Amino acid sequence: MSPSLAAYESIVNSSVVAQLRRLGKKLEGRRVVHVNSTREGGGVAEILEWMVPNMRDVGVDASWEVIHGTPRFFDITKGIHNGLQGKPVELSKKDWMIYQDVNEENAARLRPVLEEADVVIIHDPQPAYLLQLCPNRKGKWIWRGHIDISRPFRPVWKYLRTIVEKYDASIFSMAEFAQPLPHPQFLVPPSIDPLSEKNREMTPAELSGVRAEAGLDPDRPLLVQVSRFDRFKDPIGVIQAYRLVRKVAPVQLVLAGGGATDDPEGKAVLEEVMEAAEGDPDIHVLLLPSGAHATINGLQRLADIVLQKSTREGFGLTVTEGLWKGKPVIGGDVGGIRLQVVNHHTGFLVNTPEGAAHRIRYLLHHHERIKEMGEEGREFVRENFLLTRHLREYLTLMLAIRSGKSERILLV
Amino acid sequence: MTPFEVKDCALLIRMSGLSPAMNLRELRDRIATCSENVLYHHFCETTLRPTFDDPDYRNDFAVWAKLYLGDRVLAERLGILDPYSFERMEGLRAVTLEVIDDRLGELTTVPWVRSGDEFLFKEATTVVFDTGERIGHPRELAPALRRMTNGSIYYHFLEALRRIPMGQDDFSAWLLEAGKEYEPYLRSLGSIDYHFHSLALLRKELVRALTQMEDAQ
Repeated sequence: MSPSLAAYESIVNSSVVAQLRRLGKKLEGRRVVHVNSTREGGGVAEILEWMVPNMRDVGVDASWEVIHGTPRFFDITKGIHNGLQGKPVELSKKDWMIYQDVNEENAARLRPVLEEADVVIIHDPQPAYLLQLCPNRKGKWIWRGHIDISRPFRPVWKYLRTIVEKYDASIFSMAEFAQPLPHPQFLVPPSIDPLSEKNREMTPAELSGVRAEAGLDPDRPLLVQVSRFDRFKDPIGVIQAYRLVRKVAPVQLVLAGGGATDDPEGKAVLEEVMEAAEGDPDIHVLLLPSGAHATINGLQRLADIVLQKSTREGFGLTVTEGLWKGKPVIGGDVGGIRLQVVNHHTGFLVNTPEGAAHRIRYLLHHHERIKEMGEEGREFVRENFLLTRHLREYLTLMLAIRSGKSERILLV
Repeated sequence: MTPFEVKDCALLIRMSGLSPAMNLRELRDRIATCSENVLYHHFCETTLRPTFDDPDYRNDFAVWAKLYLGDRVLAERLGILDPYSFERMEGLRAVTLEVIDDRLGELTTVPWVRSGDEFLFKEATTVVFDTGERIGHPRELAPALRRMTNGSIYYHFLEALRRIPMGQDDFSAWLLEAGKEYEPYLRSLGSIDYHFHSLALLRKELVRALTQMEDAQ
């Protein structure tokens, strides 16, 4: 159950919540339907879990529909997903037919709701074909691409583009993720929920529990990287950086992540990491189940420095989470990390294990900077990357779409 | 005097449709032809956007020149440009092009960026709405400012500078109505060098300037 909007007044200024209510008032009673492919698990479901009730809280008649599909359909959409992220995948004509057929089955069920809605927001490629199956639609249809499609595998994008370009608008998380389309492409970065299990405040007893469970020494500095076991997250580079620091400081390292068991490449990376860490009791490699939010929260809070040494990254919400917990972040100079980490202010951008080691040593020698940068990072997230800003941009977008104007100033 | 109507605003950013710039010449050519809204976004709307306020420069062109082209000379020359000192965006465009042309003339090769570091041209719509809040007396302005969102500060102080009458923020325009007694307030507001301020800092500065005047009286 998502907290009500009022609960966020203790975190953001009450004027921010009042602003959302005022924007919501302008959209009172408007029917907005979100459609995605899963009710639980994954980033999109996490967003909709709080967004839909909060839209309702400010007066919008928001609802959330989920499409159903066969295992074959989800294999195909996983292929589409990978293709959009640049992985060469084989999708036959028959695969695309199955994709369309499953959308058709869902359209038969959802058509009345979708065609009557004022705004329909379709999340990711799985339900994208629904638009073509709702010929009597009254409202505006928006495609929300949550993934990085900046360098897609062309055959997949060429086909999906013919579907997506029929929408009235699309939304991407960053300009770098977008593709040219013949309609307005809005930019709405993601956000974190400060009251969620992954980000809420924790008691000293809870933190002690996490520390004990992970076998960490409370008296020595802790470096933490939370991410999937994926080569682009460069866990081996993190271990190399740790070893360079370890020569001069008694640090501990936690590499925590999940998702390796059902992903052959993830499994291989995990094995490489285990091998690289072997024999060093101060490297803790934790393979966490998907619901281990409190453990992740605790590890990030116990850290002295949070690392996200990616060589390729989407937005990098683990960076946002680290900053929100008042930690300086040493991150790879890529993707959305660049939007969040600014040298000497919220952390450091690095390109090599040596660069990461250098910055870790700098911070361990300047403890006051850890605190200052941590505070600056937390305020930066408060202003820019909490769900209140995310909700505001969706409400603003709906107002802009309703007006049908694209002037610089829009009075509503 | 007429009560001050507190407005609020939110920024909705979108891609401009222009091709990304891979090098300084492409940047120059896109700046020469882009719409005024694109220029306005990259020079003026940076404070209201969800990114860290760059500690060195306020406009995106200077930041790009520094971080990705690696041309600190150009970054410094672009960084000092004050978009609010131009009556029209075309004036700002002309000066920006002059700075880039001068730099291109000084360089033996056109600087490029690596793939992934291109300059991406954006624009935005500022959605403005009435908060319903009214300020009846100049003495109520400082407490009201403390409560205002960043959107309100942006709209009434920075965005206002580009509305008619040009170069005047809404707070000063309103205080002008209040008569001679409030002239020191006006001078105090006018002394704020807002160029490097984030909106949170600007709010603090505005409150400080006004309360200082009240204390002095």
